[in-house]
Amino acid sequence: MSPSNREADVVWKDRKDLTLLNTDQVRLDGPGKVTGHALYSHDIRIPNMVYARLVLVPYSRTKLTKVDVAPAAALAGVVHAEVWDGGKEAVQFLGDDSVVAVVAAETPELAEDAARAVILEFEPEDNPMVTRGQVTANDAPRLRQGRRGGPNVEEDGARGDEEDVLELLATADGVVEQDYSVPIQHHVCLETHGCVVHLEGGKATVYPSTQMVSDSVGMYASMLGLSQRDVRVICQNMGGGFGSKFGAGLEGLAACRVALAVERPVHLMLDRRQEFLMAGNRSGSTQSYHAGASKDGKIVALKATAEKYGGMGGGALPTPPYIYEVKKRYAQVGSVYTAMDANRAMRAPGHPQASFGMESVVDELAYSVGFDPLEFRKLNLDSEVHLRQLDRVALEIGWNEHPNRKEPGKPDADGMAEGIGFGVSQWGAGARPGAHCEVRIEADGSVTSSVAVQDLGTGSRTYVAGIVAEELGLPLHGVTAKIGDSVLPSSVASGGSVTTGSQAPAIQDAAVQARRALEAKLVDAIGGEVDAFTWKNGEVANADGQKLSFRDACALLGGETLTTMGEFQPNLHSGGAHGAQAARVRVDTLTGHVQVLKMVCIQDMGLPLNRAAVRSQINGGMIGALSYGLFEERVLDHDFGFMLSDQLEDYKIAGIQEMPEMVAIIDDDDDFSTTKGVAEATGIPGHSAIANAIYNACGARVRHLPMTPDKVLAALGRS
Amino acid sequence: MKAFEMRLPASLEEAIALLPTAEGDESSRLVAGGQDLLTELKHHLVEPERLVNLKSIPGLAGATWGSDGSLTLGALTTLQDIYEDERIVTTFPALAEAARSVASPQIRAVGTIGGNLNQRPRCWYYRAEEMVCLKKGGRECFSQFGRNKYNAILGAGPSWIVHPSDTAPALVALNASVEIVGPNGKRTSSMQDYFTLPSSGNVLRETTLAPNEVLTRITIPAPAKGSKSTYLKFKERSSYDFAVGAVALNLTLDGRKITAARIVLGAVAPTPWRVEEVEARLIGRDLNDETIELAREGALAGAAPLSENGYKVPLTKGLITRAFRAISRS
Ligand SMILES: Cc1cc2nc3c(=O)[nH]c(=O)nc-3n(C[C@H](O)[C@H](O)[C@H](O)COP(=O)(O)OP(=O)(O)OC[C@H]3O[C@@H](n4cnc5c(N)ncnc54)[C@H](O)[C@@H]3O)c2cc1C
Repeated sequence: MSPSNREADVVWKDRKDLTLLNTDQVRLDGPGKVTGHALYSHDIRIPNMVYARLVLVPYSRTKLTKVDVAPAAALAGVVHAEVWDGGKEAVQFLGDDSVVAVVAAETPELAEDAARAVILEFEPEDNPMVTRGQVTANDAPRLRQGRRGGPNVEEDGARGDEEDVLELLATADGVVEQDYSVPIQHHVCLETHGCVVHLEGGKATVYPSTQMVSDSVGMYASMLGLSQRDVRVICQNMGGGFGSKFGAGLEGLAACRVALAVERPVHLMLDRRQEFLMAGNRSGSTQSYHAGASKDGKIVALKATAEKYGGMGGGALPTPPYIYEVKKRYAQVGSVYTAMDANRAMRAPGHPQASFGMESVVDELAYSVGFDPLEFRKLNLDSEVHLRQLDRVALEIGWNEHPNRKEPGKPDADGMAEGIGFGVSQWGAGARPGAHCEVRIEADGSVTSSVAVQDLGTGSRTYVAGIVAEELGLPLHGVTAKIGDSVLPSSVASGGSVTTGSQAPAIQDAAVQARRALEAKLVDAIGGEVDAFTWKNGEVANADGQKLSFRDACALLGGETLTTMGEFQPNLHSGGAHGAQAARVRVDTLTGHVQVLKMVCIQDMGLPLNRAAVRSQINGGMIGALSYGLFEERVLDHDFGFMLSDQLEDYKIAGIQEMPEMVAIIDDDDDFSTTKGVAEATGIPGHSAIANAIYNACGARVRHLPMTPDKVLAALGRS
Repeated sequence: MKAFEMRLPASLEEAIALLPTAEGDESSRLVAGGQDLLTELKHHLVEPERLVNLKSIPGLAGATWGSDGSLTLGALTTLQDIYEDERIVTTFPALAEAARSVASPQIRAVGTIGGNLNQRPRCWYYRAEEMVCLKKGGRECFSQFGRNKYNAILGAGPSWIVHPSDTAPALVALNASVEIVGPNGKRTSSMQDYFTLPSSGNVLRETTLAPNEVLTRITIPAPAKGSKSTYLKFKERSSYDFAVGAVALNLTLDGRKITAARIVLGAVAPTPWRVEEVEARLIGRDLNDETIELAREGALAGAAPLSENGYKVPLTKGLITRAFRAISRS
């Protein structure tokens, strides 16, 4: 049966009939994770396994004169030492290109000794090519050569009519002309990138830390020279990906090459420093805005010029204006290429960056025409959903009782000031075709729901069981979920928050088919009609109220196992997520310290499959944005092209003391007839709301992330 | 990290005999809680062949009170034991607050006061193995013209590190002294003179300690009547972080009148930074806003920030204001 045949015929239950979905469910992977039983790629141990390690030259641009692996190979316990890719004459950028050798040994410690034993001789280039000034210098070489070559600074092309915009700006009642910037951020996956490759008898099992189990098979097969049939990919638990773990990466390729060379299982995970140097980043950007508003609170025109900093990648930034309605705009976005690893997807690529610039400008415009920034936002947003959501977060954060709504407040006698700020988000979510699900029911009442899909810690494992349990009237533990293994029915990659939109409909499809198949047996046994049975509390009843226990119903299968295969059903999902956030901060105007006291986020997602998991996602989005807003920044020495923030001690992320009171609100006014992914939208506007709250507290407009004390004090005119 | 031999000496003499005699010889190193040394080993900043573990020597941990009300701390006393000691908390609040402000609970549970005073700098360049900076025998302090957000604004040059210890400024403010044992026996030093500036001392070290000496005890004299102390640390990240600025303040008050003052700044200079001329100007003045301003402005008057650390000036002034107000209120 093709998906379209069943379309409209398979639906989600009505909201009032749901007993498991749309409630709080304790995630199935929780106990394993808190007790340490859950195995990650790092933890995989296979008899006879060796530990491989990459050797890097940690400067952005160097001439290489020598890479000698012989001293490493000569160490006892070292089983492999190879010059990477047969050797090269130069390192062109900090990142994958920094890798110059790979070694493997009997223990991780010996592998580290071996890596250090490799003799490297190199000379850093005069121009490290890590700043805009350096890549645009007269004698600067082109960073991108060959087929995808191009200049170091490249414009994406302009949109809108600049003359028109400038004309309107000349007559605007309030004008803002300012520069904003966000630095390069890291994903900081707790589990670093890498995999274990187990090659034996012409077949391979690979254990990568990955956001895509099914689609990894082909990659590893080609790297190992095997047919896809002979490659199995397993990822049961993921220590964070955030968009950085799709491809196998150079580390995956190296693991495969070592496995082929030594014919033993190979464990290759990046160390923390390598994770910072070569596992991708969220691109930075500079954004200049010239915008105007009218006395009646409308944004009349906006001119934006922006540059993206994604290292060897082009970076990500939606063309301004972001979300807000502007009568006339002119926008020009470009990329500045630097000698660093290419940016990778990271939680709503480009959106948190755009949000910071745009929400700051909108806020500045509001105050410039004497408007309450909340009211001003509502006047310039198109979606009814955003209006409703803004009201809700305003209520929750206490905006209506807040003393400084039209102009910023002043510090108290001790130098402290409190303020509130807002931001909104928008994200595509949606789905990709290709997800499946197999439901198996045995005559003894065992139910298994299986699909290759990965669980990035977001909760997919739990709804793989939960959706089926709901349909069959069982408790969550009445269904066994099997995931994270490529031998199971295939699924999609987890990117763009499409996992739920893609996967959940296929599970529902399999569940409905299984229910109907059982109902067909019930028709003969107790009478009734397919689709007219009630499945609840472990029992099934026909329209006349005649009941069987779930187990007895399954016994009707006799010796048979009931198996159904679900496919993606477009009508069960939707795209286009909306959210709004508010932050309340306390600013210490003597030291520039910002404490976030409270954050509120409301998010729509259609049908919430597991309310507890959804709130966790929302909290995670707020925490990520807080950390981005207040702490995170890649720091390089510009003369050496050398990364200084290459450890978690120096690359600061928010910790437990930074956590505000968090209120995660599920938008129950949304339509529950479809479901959609919720993850990425929640991380978009939090830091913008914090920046706006800082201004609202004390009049310090911080236009550059992270909002560390140096920047807050500067904005206060104190340094 | 490089493999090393761990020695467990039974006595101080034995420990000292295991230490190198020549300046610059790193073949053997003392270890206490290991919370700083291990990070140095892991990052290959030092690669000693031998570690000499102080913890096997009896009698080096714990607090003892003299009949005169003075306090002596063994070098192996953990930071946690310091701030969990009620008498220390009430008698020397600056020390207890400083000890409590260090790192995380896990680190405070094993990190010792001796290790805290002898820990090495956190400057990005010093901590990066590849960067052979002045502190590691190179020719240049890279932070001077490089990235220097956390570096020194006072007393610096030719190295711009800041001293990372939280307990050091508190102990200087409390007029502590240290006992040091070497091959030729004991010597004592004021806490203040124990630390050396890069311009006057050995730029490869931060203290007067010789490679074969051990800091064994710290003694704090009994507080004068009417004295009050506090340590205020500013962390960029509250959860755990080194200080970006700090102030240890020890005032003796007669009513509102200041009769003695010690103001020591942390995280702004290569040593705990005592501002003696400012202290002198406070004597005889009432503790009021005007006096606080005098202290605040005077303390930072000589500041010479680098390209990215100018904010430390207003920040530290803010901390001084707060510290004085805290004492004024207490
Ligand atoms: C993540 C992290 C955060 C930290 N945060 C802070 C902070 O906020 N504030 C702060 O002050 N520190 C901080 N530290 C530094 C340090 O770990 C602690 O201060 C701790 O007190 C060090 O004590 P230890 O006993 O573990 O020292 P060890 O590591 O054992 O020794 C440190 C150094 O002192 C020498 N040494 C130790 N004992 C003696 C002695 N008796 N005589 C002579 N030399 C001796 C050792 O040879 C070594 O060089 C932090 C460390 C880490 C890893």
